[in-house]
Amino acid sequence: MHPTSREGRFGVRASLTRLVHSQGLALLLLPLTVATAFAHAVAEGDKGYIQEITGVHLLPFVYLGAKHMVTGYDHILFLLGVIFFLYKLKHIAIYVSLFAIGHSTTMLLGVYFNIGINSYIIDAIIGFSVVYKALDNLGAFQRWFGVQPDSKAATLIFGFLHGFGLSTKIIEYDISPDGLLPNLLAFNVGVEIGQLLALAAILIVMSYWRRTDSFFRHAYTANVVMMTAGFVLIGYQITGWFVA
Amino acid sequence: MYNSDIPSRAELPTSRQLLRSTLIAIVAALAILITIVLPAEYNIDPTGVGRVLGLAQMGEIKVQLAEEAERDRQMDQNSTVLAPGSSLFGRVFAALVVSPASAQTASRQDVTTLTLTPGQGAEIKLVMKAGAKADYSWTVAGGVVNFDTHGDGGGKSISYEKGRAVPGDDGVLEAAFDGNHGWFWRNRGSADVTLTLKTSGAYAEIKRTD
Repeated sequence: MHPTSREGRFGVRASLTRLVHSQGLALLLLPLTVATAFAHAVAEGDKGYIQEITGVHLLPFVYLGAKHMVTGYDHILFLLGVIFFLYKLKHIAIYVSLFAIGHSTTMLLGVYFNIGINSYIIDAIIGFSVVYKALDNLGAFQRWFGVQPDSKAATLIFGFLHGFGLSTKIIEYDISPDGLLPNLLAFNVGVEIGQLLALAAILIVMSYWRRTDSFFRHAYTANVVMMTAGFVLIGYQITGWFVA
Repeated sequence: MYNSDIPSRAELPTSRQLLRSTLIAIVAALAILITIVLPAEYNIDPTGVGRVLGLAQMGEIKVQLAEEAERDRQMDQNSTVLAPGSSLFGRVFAALVVSPASAQTASRQDVTTLTLTPGQGAEIKLVMKAGAKADYSWTVAGGVVNFDTHGDGGGKSISYEKGRAVPGDDGVLEAAFDGNHGWFWRNRGSADVTLTLKTSGAYAEIKRTD
């Protein structure tokens, strides 16, 4: 018996471009507007590829997971914030593991139980995590409230939230139910590999920078810039939510 | 900085260590690019590693989908460019000739057989009036296919149903509007498959449109 999967019964999508192109004359010749082409809407790129395949494809999914992490500037920005003032490899390992445990958990649970959060909202929250981490690095919470919130707990919690961002993205990808779990696990392995790759690159650049005498003078500004980027991400996503 | 301890010079990596790390990073990046990224994104696989890892197939499908989408865009463009020109008369003439034919909704039935090589897609459409119904059943010998049951015409398009890796399907196709309604299939397996489509109902014409 072959695995069977079906999606989208009677999903109407009126194509605006077609509508515009076939105005006027074409409307008069209604029975004749046979602008055939490949009228089935073709999704391209990663999404298109995923929608074309079924079954277990471990390495392609590892690749897609790694790609998502390496090209996902929001995750990278947060990671940058997390390791900004970490110098010992041991500390970096602890924080990165906490983040990884966080995002793996919610990513897998989110996809498996099909908990898709509105992608604009979850991405705005991820933007907020960047702002939070920048303020944390700047010592704002100590200055303002006289307390230092537990950085490890914060990293874990934001890890959970980033994971929902990942799961929401995967649900949009529309993976075939056939081979879902192995493919998801492979995707998650890829996410970790991508995270390590990105981290290695960040660390090398940071190490050069930290060796300069100006590092501590610029660290403050750098975190303000990071916070700005976080605010931009929030604004970008919230606007998208209203516009879309 | 208020929130952190300033490390001593000795805690930071030496210049030598850093340069070595940079070099390693560049070499690793090149290796990843050639064996993984290029095959997976563009089906460019000089080492053959991408094929072995299953990533070149990903690139192949991506390139194919991009080409089809491009062809689609061009066809859309062409139809706008040509509409007011010479094809105007052709279309008017064709409308006069064909319209009465497509207007009739007498029942007919057909059996269509086609072979799909690996990666190949095919599209078969029924010319139907809004609300017209056609019974259909199709089966695949030698494998499974992906499908998209959909329609287009008069500036509208609709997707009725999609599926992946199925050996067949049957049901009733009810046209949501005047136009062409039917199936797009694609063989994503590694061997040729033969598809047999049986249709009967109120449609004026059956045609292959890919």
